[in-house]
Formats: sequence, C-alpha cells, structure tokens
Amino acid sequence: MERILEAAPGTRVLLLGNEAIARAALEAGVAVATTYPGTPASEIGDALARVAKDAGIYFEYSTNEMVATEVAIGAATSGVRALVSMKHVGLNVAADALMTFAYTGTRGGFVLVTADDPSCHSSQNEQDNRYFALLGGIPLLEPSSPQECYDMTKEAFELSEKLELPVIVRTTTRVSHVRGAVTVGEVKPGPKKNEFVKDPKRFVTVPAVAKERHLVLLQRLVEADKLASRSALNKVFRLGRSRRKGIITSSAAFNYVMDAAKALELSVDVLKLGFSHPLPSTLVSDFLKGHDMVVVVEELEPILETSVRALAQHDGIPSRILGKADGLFPRAHELNQRLVSSGLTRAFKASGGSLRKAAEEHDELPLRPPVLCAGCPHSATYFAVNKATNRKAIFASDIGCYTLGLEPPYSAADLLVCMGSSVGTAGGLAKVNDQPVIAFIGDSTFFHAGIPGLINAVHHRHKFLLMILDNRTTAMTGHQPHPGSDRGVPGTEVTAVEIEDVVRGCGVKWLRVVDPYDIKLTTDTVKEALKQEGVSVIVARRECALIAGRDDTGAIIRKHYIDQELCKKCRTCVDKFQCPAISSIDKVQAIDDALCAGCGVCAQVCPHDAIKEAK
Amino acid sequence: MVDIYLVGVGGQGIITASRIIGEAALFAGKNVLLSETHGMAQRGGSVVCTARIGDVYSPLIPDGRADIILSFELLEALRALCMASKSTRVVTSSERIVPLAISTKKLNYPSLDEIRSQAARSAKDFIAVDAPRLAASAGVPMSSNVVMIGALAGVGVAGLERAHFEKAVEATIPRKVSENLHAFSLGFDAAKNAPANV
Repeated sequence: MERILEAAPGTRVLLLGNEAIARAALEAGVAVATTYPGTPASEIGDALARVAKDAGIYFEYSTNEMVATEVAIGAATSGVRALVSMKHVGLNVAADALMTFAYTGTRGGFVLVTADDPSCHSSQNEQDNRYFALLGGIPLLEPSSPQECYDMTKEAFELSEKLELPVIVRTTTRVSHVRGAVTVGEVKPGPKKNEFVKDPKRFVTVPAVAKERHLVLLQRLVEADKLASRSALNKVFRLGRSRRKGIITSSAAFNYVMDAAKALELSVDVLKLGFSHPLPSTLVSDFLKGHDMVVVVEELEPILETSVRALAQHDGIPSRILGKADGLFPRAHELNQRLVSSGLTRAFKASGGSLRKAAEEHDELPLRPPVLCAGCPHSATYFAVNKATNRKAIFASDIGCYTLGLEPPYSAADLLVCMGSSVGTAGGLAKVNDQPVIAFIGDSTFFHAGIPGLINAVHHRHKFLLMILDNRTTAMTGHQPHPGSDRGVPGTEVTAVEIEDVVRGCGVKWLRVVDPYDIKLTTDTVKEALKQEGVSVIVARRECALIAGRDDTGAIIRKHYIDQELCKKCRTCVDKFQCPAISSIDKVQAIDDALCAGCGVCAQVCPHDAIKEAK
Repeated sequence: MVDIYLVGVGGQGIITASRIIGEAALFAGKNVLLSETHGMAQRGGSVVCTARIGDVYSPLIPDGRADIILSFELLEALRALCMASKSTRVVTSSERIVPLAISTKKLNYPSLDEIRSQAARSAKDFIAVDAPRLAASAGVPMSSNVVMIGALAGVGVAGLERAHFEKAVEATIPRKVSENLHAFSLGFDAAKNAPANV
C-alpha cells in the first residue's frame, strides 16, 4: 500500500516531512509535479513518482531544476495546480525562471519547495534560500514539523491562487527528514486539463510588460503582508507568566526554542512565523510593542532579525532586540537545543539547565566516512585513470557519488563548485596549466548542466578529457531515472536520449565508450585520449553496483577471494585500489564474501594474480 | 519522554528500524519524532537516527541525553557513547563492519572487551546481541535490524508494549511476516536474558 495516496481522511500516519508535502499536494488537487532529485528534497518527488499513475497526476523527473520549474509554470499559467521541488542549490539553477515568473504571476496554484541544508549534510554549501523570497518578492512559508509540512503546503496552494503569485515552501534537513505523526485529510483530485488563455500583456515579459508587472508584484506584496499578519500560520505561544519578554522564530529553530524554553523554565512569549515573507508587519510590530525585550532565533542568515530591527526603527518601537548581531547565535551551521539554550540563557540571564557539549574522548576512533561501494564502477575508473596518468593530471570533478573519489587512494577531485562545473572549469584549467586536465561528470549531471559547457569547450577548442561516468542512474539521491534512461516513472513512456548522440551533436570528434571494469582497456583509452587535440570524451559505462546487485535482477555474482599462498602482502589492493569488501587486518588481506559485488576489478589490480574467482 | 539514539553503518536498515519504533509509538498512542540520515551519508558511512517518544518539539537529542543507545555495529556503539550518561542503556549488535580506515591506516578494531569497559565508564549497562546469527536462524538473514528492534523491546521502552512493536514490525515490513516476528522474538529474548553487564 502506498500510504501517501491511500491513508484515510482523519487518520494519523507516520510521514517524513517530504512525504507530508507530497500528500498535501495530492489533497490540494495538484495536476503537475516536477523535480530534479537532490538531498534533502528527493523523497517529495520519489513519493509522487510512486503514486502518480494511481492518483492520475502528471509527474516527471526533469532534466534540471530550471526545466522542472518551467514545466510547472507552463501548467500553472494554464490554470491547473503545480508543484516543483528541489534542494536549495537547485533554486540557483531555477532562479532565472522564478524571478520573472513572480512578475507574470500564476493562475493555478504554484508551489515551489526548496529544501535547505544547514550544516551541509549532503551539499556543497549551506546558502539560506529565504533570500530568494526576498529577492523575487515571493511569499514564503516555513514549516517546522511534518504536520506543518502538510498544513503549509495545502495553504500554499490557496495563497498562491489568492495572490496569483508563486509561493515558496522552505524546509531544512531537520524538517524534510523528520518523521512524525501527520493527521491527513481527503485526497481531492483537481482539474488535470485546462485551456491556456492568451494574455501577452501579462505573460510575455518584454521590457514594457515587465515594468508594469513589477508594479503589480509590489501591490500583491502589500496584500500578502496583510494576509500574513492575520494568517493562522503565525502564532504566539505563551510560556510561563511574565509577558514582557519575547522570542521571534521560525522553521527548525522554533523547535529548539520550545524545548530550550521549557528546560530553562523561561517565562516568555514565542512568536512563531510560519508565513514569514513578506514580514507580517502589523503582527510583528504589535508583538514588539508588547515586549520590552525580544530575541530573534533563526538558523543561518539573520534575515528575520534584520527585518524586525528595521520595522522597530520605522515604527519607533524602543524594545530591545537581540540576536546574531549580539553574538547570541552562530550564523554558520545548523542550530540545536544546546546552542539555542546557551543563547537564550545569556539573553534572559536565565540560569541552570545548560547542556554540555558531547565529550570528545572518542575522537581518536577510526572514522567511517561515506565511501564508494563494493563493485562501484567509479572506483575502477579512478584506478585506471591514476594508472594512465601516473597521477600527473588535474581533476575537475562534479556532483554525485563519484565526488567521493576525492580521498586517497584515488585523489580524483581537485576542483568542484556546482552541478556541471567540471566541464566549464576544465576549460579554464586547461588554458592556464601545462598538466593534462581531466573532467569527471556523472550521466545525470551531464544532462543536468554539462552540455552547455561541452559546447563551449568544443567551440573554443579547449583541450581536456571529459569522462562521463555513466552508471545508468541518478545514484546518489536514490536511483532516480534521467533523460538517458529507457524507463520513466510508472504510467509514463519515455524516449532515452543517448549520451553518445548528445556528445557528437555538441561537435566532439573523438569519443570512446569503455567498460570501466576492464582496467586495461580503460587505462589505454585514457592514455590515447590525452594525446588528442581539443576535447576528447570517454563514456565509462557500467550500471551502478547497487542496482546490478539487487536480488531481483537475477544477476550471478562472481564472488572473489584472495589466495593467501599467492598473496605477497604488497597491499596494492588496499593502498591503490579501495573496496569496502577488501580488508587488511593483522597484515592479512582478505575479501568479505558478504560484501563482494563480484566485479572482478581487484583481480586485475593485483600484481601477483592472487585474487581468484570463487568456484 | 524516552530518547533513543540509533547508530550503525549505511545499508544496515537503520531508517527502517527507526520507522518501526515510530509506528510502535503511534500504536501505543504516544507522540513521536524521528530524524533520519539520507543521501550521501548513506554510502557505507556512519549513520545516526533518533527517535524521541513523548511530547517534544526538536527531533534531535541533546548531547549526553540518550536514554537508550541502539547500535547496529560495535564500533559505532563505542562512537555513540558521547550521547550516554550513567542512566543510559546501550544495546548493540555484536556485528563488526571493518571501516576502510582500519585497513588503510593500519589501525586496530577495538575488541569487545575494550568496548565493554568503555561503556562501563560512560553508561548504565551494555547488552550485546549477535543479531546477524539470530536473523539467519530465523530465516531472514537481512533482518538484523528486526532482531535489534526485538532487543530494544526486550530491554523495554517505557509506555510501549511488546505487542506494539510486533504490530509495527508487521506494518513496516510486509514480507516474510512470521520469519521477521521470529527474528524479533529471538532479539527480545536475547536482550531480556542478557547478563547484567557493567
């Protein structure tokens, strides 16, 4: 049973924040939902992908976040409801579409979910996407819990249609990836088809139109401010008896505030902003007037704090406002109860209940960072590349599992900024360095943002080797399909776009396809590629070992073992290759039968032919 | 309030285990919040999930405040002791998954006795269960996580009864129900009858 679709109205179900968003969209009658997968947003799309057919909605994993947003805009401007979800950095890609869409506005409800990642749990930065709401003039809702993910997503569709504006729902890792009880309502299918009514004076943003539409947007924001000031999503929690001290907070920070305030036995009023942009000016102004001292608690940037201070100054309110500017809370990394408790203790001169930081006595334990899996084709590729280049090359890397190759023994990443950056940065590296330059990009990332870089490199005759690490899936985020896949989500038919066709279409003349499990072929091909002028491309194609190893594929796994009589203890299999199935304990190297994926790469790596296939 | 800190290695089914706890709490009529590790961290790395049963807002457990540490791997149990106080119960699988750093940096994997004595200093007690063996004997070798949920129920979670957990196992893992319930009961008995260490 897919509880996202089938949970009965009125029941309490255990849902992930992301699943609660998906359920709410179904109840709100969403017609079109799109995404590009990215942690911590991925489960929104994955949940909808599983039920799209039965729910009768259209869902797609789009090529990138900008395309996802544009597809949703096409649907919403036609008058049906649309949802687009992405991780925070995805909104950088989608921003071009979103900033101007705020000018045209929407007809059907349009909700964009951005899942931020304070502390960079699985991201290259921890940017605070609330700034996009400020930048674009877009109403912003910030849930704190799975139940609020559900409530606010439903409300976001209503607000969007009321204001005729896109609405951003912003979560963080500690909201998206929290599971809790959610009381659900009824799934009410909405209209799936409509007719686009032409209105070029609104929807075609040539300069003359855009100038006028900006004024409309500003007017809508005034209305949004009024709606926010009386929105049920903004509420005051009264703790204890004294009514002179206040806290203004939002999102995950609210949770830490409530737990800390209880532990510290604070007498304080907590204004929780769920609808936080535009700042509900009347509500906040009244709250400030009613409290002598107000502490603003928020994760990452001091956005609420700055606007609350500006409002107080404008309205001539003398209350003391404290926050990050006073050093009470850090501006980097996620908050927790200890940090919030410590800031509130200092602000309110409370005593007791302070929490200790974990003892660091166990820091010397062997670390266990994420690693490339047993049988991972990327490991084989990196081993071959190091062999071919003798490690004398600069590696431009990209976003995906293969970034994990940055650690020794591969050291296969020297520069990484964003999706698709391997290709563009390789061009610049090659222009000013004498060493060979090799760019690594995954299949999904290549489709997402690698293609314009490749066209640029061909056109400007940049000289580097681009290796497209094609494991036939979007592995890191949970094996979602991409444009190269021949199967889409259930209920849809897709056309696989061949990577070779795209590469040749970009004007690349030297292209080879290798199986990375074949170390000699891959090594020789890399050597040959590096002799070429201009851009050379190698597609290293081998299915992700996690998919190939699934029980249901029926694949025979050829387990390997180390023949201890032949083993010379040279440690090549441990020091130059790296496989979680191979261990070296008490100077004995061995393969864990349970973990071995049967790729056979280690047998090629061993210089003494001591690794054999089990009979 | 009961705070359970779940640790192990990506791929051991820890998220599923935390969901079983969550469902059991709902069956018992309690509130519950779980936090999960997804994405990059899952590729064979250390994984942490939390389960907080009771009325609380934050899904994260403050340092040193775990009531129970439920570990799926020995070294991770040791690493998790920073969350322990003298009232914390540590329940761990005796499974060892050797991290690459041990091989590449020529380090030692701590012995069970070392881990036991560390736990004696930091926690109330320490119960080790041979989860992979019990799962295999129940006919579901992939269900070490279910064995450990049984062990959790065996040491007891205030307000949650054995039947709540069993119903939650069934609701969360619809395949091989009788085998998984058997795995659960083996874990339950192993923890319940474990000698009181420390």
